[in-house]
Amino acid sequence: MNVFFRELKAYQKSTFIWIASLCTLVVVFLLMFPAFTKDVEATRAIMANLPLAVRNALDISLQNFFTVYGFFAYLLTFASLAGAVQAMNIGVGIISKEDSGKTVDFLLTKPISRIKVVTNKILAAVFILLLTNLIFILVALSTAAMVSVSSFDAGLLLLIALTLLFVQLFFLAFGILLSVLIPKIKSTISVSLPVVFGFFVIGMLGAVIGNDNVRYICPFKFYDSNYIIDHSAYDIKFLIIEAVFILLAITASYVIYLRKDIRAVS
Amino acid sequence: MNIIETKKLTKYYGKAIGIVDVDLDVKEGEIFGFIGPNGAGKSTTIRTLLGLIHPTSGGATIFGKDITKFGPEIKEEIGYLPSEVFYYDDMKVIDLLRYSGSFYKKDQSVIAKRIEELAAYLDLDLKKKIDDLSYGNKKKVGIIQGLLHEPKLIILDEPTGGLDPLMQQRFFELLRKENKKGATILFSSHILGEVQKLCNRVAIIKDGKIIKVENIKDLAKNTHKRFKLESPTKIDPAQFISLKGVSDFVSTDSGVSFLYRGDINEAIEIIAKLNLTNLLVEEPDLEEIFMHYYQTDKIS
Repeated sequence: MNVFFRELKAYQKSTFIWIASLCTLVVVFLLMFPAFTKDVEATRAIMANLPLAVRNALDISLQNFFTVYGFFAYLLTFASLAGAVQAMNIGVGIISKEDSGKTVDFLLTKPISRIKVVTNKILAAVFILLLTNLIFILVALSTAAMVSVSSFDAGLLLLIALTLLFVQLFFLAFGILLSVLIPKIKSTISVSLPVVFGFFVIGMLGAVIGNDNVRYICPFKFYDSNYIIDHSAYDIKFLIIEAVFILLAITASYVIYLRKDIRAVS
Repeated sequence: MNIIETKKLTKYYGKAIGIVDVDLDVKEGEIFGFIGPNGAGKSTTIRTLLGLIHPTSGGATIFGKDITKFGPEIKEEIGYLPSEVFYYDDMKVIDLLRYSGSFYKKDQSVIAKRIEELAAYLDLDLKKKIDDLSYGNKKKVGIIQGLLHEPKLIILDEPTGGLDPLMQQRFFELLRKENKKGATILFSSHILGEVQKLCNRVAIIKDGKIIKVENIKDLAKNTHKRFKLESPTKIDPAQFISLKGVSDFVSTDSGVSFLYRGDINEAIEIIAKLNLTNLLVEEPDLEEIFMHYYQTDKIS
């Protein structure tokens, strides 16, 4: 467990900053909710004047946008983007930083198996993401309760909020896989940002051109908020896709890392 | 009992040779030197023993246990110090050492006490941040993290770089003390003098193959010295060539240079008569020993 705690400590500062940013985002956004809904008809008219393609790109749905759920789901698009970067940074970095910092010799000559090293690191990463989401959800729900004029279904809001965690877990797994596949990673950002934004843009383009198949390859579109709001449930298909992907990525990461030669530093 | 035993240990990096058919046995309680020029395969052998790289073929045991199957168990009793040390820059020295100690099953309070002792002996400030340490001080951290759990086997891969002569002496003293307490030591180096000072037996590796395993006393008997003489006037080569034990003789306008193995007084007697601007008597580097001792001796 010492590796687990070491990683928590190493990511303490950055986790704090991510949590603070995500919470600020959700609070500021939700505080604007009353302003948007004061004159629903007027705002809706403005929105309706936007071309459909723009609305799709911005992920605005006229039917739900003015409910607290729709509004929250909308801000979650951006929270997910930020959260994906956080998760991907951890995923790419948590194992590869031992390589780039050349500390891997130190770690792997201690009496600990590589399986345990990877497991501890993955657990630490998941713990960090769970903590981030827990605080995010608490702040989101209490702010929503504050700004919502009518009573609302906290369970439904929770369902929507949890999609942040799902998106993060996807990118965490993908990041870990990339980190064991790419031989030398000098900076995690140079890997994580292009990947995350790449997926985000793919999702956006898919929405603009109306191609539904894009949903299957873009984790940002796995959990369609309108579907969740209408059904009070997730589209199970995508939960399965994600679970299978994570399982494969993590298994592959273990196999690759266990067989890897740790070459001398040069 | 053999602490380390390798059998036809072989490692290829793709098609490039790392080591080929390395057979070694390091006995309990000895200080075993492992010597060879850079790139000869010393680190490859050591890294394979430590499970950092996987052998292509052949195998090895440490404490009688297979290195691929019992890696973590074996490492419980190994202390390792590489030539270049890198630690977590954000940590303080004491945190790093505690973290290092936390991997071992040994009583943590014993380890803590040992950290204090070693740090005092090596004159290392435990409260400093790793990032602020000089290269030599980082090396001291390396020494302590390698010894804090009182390992039965100490593996050192060209460990002396960055240590000043005084620290090097203390470090060797420390190793001798550990050895007396029963620790076996594998000491890799490309500096012959170091190995001669410390080791009982030595294996010589070149191009991935073990050329020879010898007692250090036998090796010392064959010590060559490299003489370099500079003179304003041309030195007559004949007087040196006729001297027994001279090889690799090179004469230039500014002086002469040769390898000498024999009675040092005889050489000095000749040199004393010369008009010199400079005189160097050095340990030959390993390449030279390989070239002029191992190869020529075999032929003659």
